[in-house]
Amino acid sequence: MKLPHDSVAGTLLAGIALTLVLYMVVRALI
Amino acid sequence: MTLTFVDHLMRWFHLLFALVWIGHNYANFVKTPRFKPFNAETSEQARTADLTARMQLEHGTFRYASIVVWCSGMGMLWYRGWLVDSFTLNGPHAVIGMGAWIGTLMLLNLWLIMWPHQKKVLGFVPAPLEERERCSRITFLASRTNTILSIPLLFFMAAGGHGLQLFM
Repeated sequence: MKLPHDSVAGTLLAGIALTLVLYMVVRALI
Repeated sequence: MTLTFVDHLMRWFHLLFALVWIGHNYANFVKTPRFKPFNAETSEQARTADLTARMQLEHGTFRYASIVVWCSGMGMLWYRGWLVDSFTLNGPHAVIGMGAWIGTLMLLNLWLIMWPHQKKVLGFVPAPLEERERCSRITFLASRTNTILSIPLLFFMAAGGHGLQLFM
């Protein structure tokens, strides 16, 4: 099964997407 | 786009690319502590033994470095009296708390998922070929998961000190 982990672009995009999601979570908490 | 956002973006990139750069330098420093001139007469067996020894040193160093990173992080939170508020994501401490949670997950991933499989892949522990193949995929995915997690981790680390305005 292909995952974002399997490419450099996928890894970086997954990291940036996760950052955005967690940023919104923390922003909602504060 | 506010200046605070740009400032934070620069701080994030500063940390991220400093790690990429110096991380590679440190990896080289750990693997090659002393200059060893290339010797064409060295046997293949001696070369393999040397490579295994270097890999063991490298993997051991970064595994124990992760413990130092985690303990010193916990120490800083404890010293400031933020430990509980950080881990319960309470108020403004949620910023560094999210970083602390991600870092903790990364540490557990390294020690509990990546390392037990990686030592079979690298041959530090004997294992049949099929098992080594299976472990190589798990090791790769666990390692890449930590790469992905490091991106938000550095974002929250960079925000902890000066980027709080970004969350208001």
